Amino acid sequence: MRVEYYFRETASGMRRNGTIAFGAVMTAFIALFLFGLALLIRREIALVIESITGNVQVQVYVDDNADVQTIDQIHSILTQLPAVANADFEDKAAACARAAQIFQSNPTIIENTTCDTWPRSFRVTLADTSQYAQIPAALGCEPDANKQLQCTQPGVTTVRDWRDVLDRLSAITTAVSLGLFGLSVIMLISAVVLVSNTLRMGMFARRKEISIMRLVGATNWRIRVPFLIEGGSEALLGAALAIVTLFLGKVFVVDQLAGKIVWLPLVRNSDVLSVLPWVFVAAIFVAAVAGTVGMRRYLDV
Amino acid sequence: MISLQHVTKTYKNDVTALDDVSIEIEKGEFVFLVGPSGSGKSSSLRLLLREEEPSHGEVFVAGKNLAKLSAWSGVPKLRRNLGTVFQDFKLLPDKTVFENVSFALEVIGKAKHVIDHRVPEILEYVGLGEKLNNYPDELSGGEQQRVSIARACVNRPLVLLADEPTGNLDPNTSVDIMRLLDKVNKIGTTVVMATHDQAIVDAMRKRVIELDRGKVVRDQSRGVYS
Repeated sequence: MRVEYYFRETASGMRRNGTIAFGAVMTAFIALFLFGLALLIRREIALVIESITGNVQVQVYVDDNADVQTIDQIHSILTQLPAVANADFEDKAAACARAAQIFQSNPTIIENTTCDTWPRSFRVTLADTSQYAQIPAALGCEPDANKQLQCTQPGVTTVRDWRDVLDRLSAITTAVSLGLFGLSVIMLISAVVLVSNTLRMGMFARRKEISIMRLVGATNWRIRVPFLIEGGSEALLGAALAIVTLFLGKVFVVDQLAGKIVWLPLVRNSDVLSVLPWVFVAAIFVAAVAGTVGMRRYLDV
Repeated sequence: MISLQHVTKTYKNDVTALDDVSIEIEKGEFVFLVGPSGSGKSSSLRLLLREEEPSHGEVFVAGKNLAKLSAWSGVPKLRRNLGTVFQDFKLLPDKTVFENVSFALEVIGKAKHVIDHRVPEILEYVGLGEKLNNYPDELSGGEQQRVSIARACVNRPLVLLADEPTGNLDPNTSVDIMRLLDKVNKIGTTVVMATHDQAIVDAMRKRVIELDRGKVVRDQSRGVYS
């Protein structure tokens, strides 16, 4: 009886307020879609950065023919440098596994390569990024005509400095995510305003009922819950639409790109899935704030 | 049952609606509050309902100090013990007679079998047993007021507060409504009625409390309007 009462009240409220409720749902939908999109684009850029740089500042590539002793020697040279914080050796299996992970959405790359394709390397993290020059100096590397470093240290094929690329890509990521998050925050605020407005219109349309409810001794909860459910369902409906749209975008836009741009790693279904809880959290946030704002000073006994 | 102790109510615009008013009303009494407009009748009723709180003094209803009630549970409980009737009926136009009365039980969480039992019973009691499915605009003013009395009484309140219940009705209909209120009073409900209606007060010969500019100027058992 109680539950039925609440839902009946909510449904009749939304029907009465049809167009306004529709506006609130749509705004919540666009806001939450942008929010989810922002999260996905961040993820995509992170994937791109990882595929290009492997997320390290400096990579020292090791010749396929180098033996264990040669590799140990390179390792000790690197770790003795004050500029180096960390130098992890990555063998072919690990390099292959990482590539498989990055290019999961682009199977052509994996299919057309064997694990032997991926070079072994030291993945170096710098303690002091300005002291990068210590590394090519210690390994006896000089730039050749193509600006590729040629090294005299046995076993070292070349050294790649990713700092520049990493810095630039991070700057892009930051700008893009800030922009998108800013936009989605503005949209989320609009959603809050619209949802709380719908609630207020609903309460205004039913002010006579509400005044009688108060008069006969209905509790605040009894009066408010239908409106809270109404706000909550509007936000959650918006969230559901946003999620459906994100998945459709994944299937009809992202998946169409797969294979066309070979080097580009793409977001996967699991990435979209991992975004969903946050979209729901944002929806609940919208509903909660809208409820608090919409109810304030209107329904005090 | 009802006790106002040195109650003063001053509004923000410095209007004093009640000035050191003390009133005691026993269980089962029938009391008229009379006086010109602005004498403090409606303010007294609003204080009893705790729609407002006094600036000074204390109000007790059914042994409870209203100042100590919490907004979230105490005040709703208080109002379940108070029935209210108004000059303008305050019925919901899109609900039938039955629904208007059952609404009062539904929103305080009464079970369906209680509603199905009590609503026809009270509507029969006020003489509207045949009109359960009519809408308010299909009823006469007197019948609408009966619906609102049924709504006020369906939860079996200790006190019935009536604010000018006959203000919109012709004299004959008013007499019918007074008979009904008297009937409600006879079954033990304390009735407090604010009114301008001299003929009714004079005819009923009940206790009369007269207010003028916020002060009690007369408190007379079996009194007349003036």
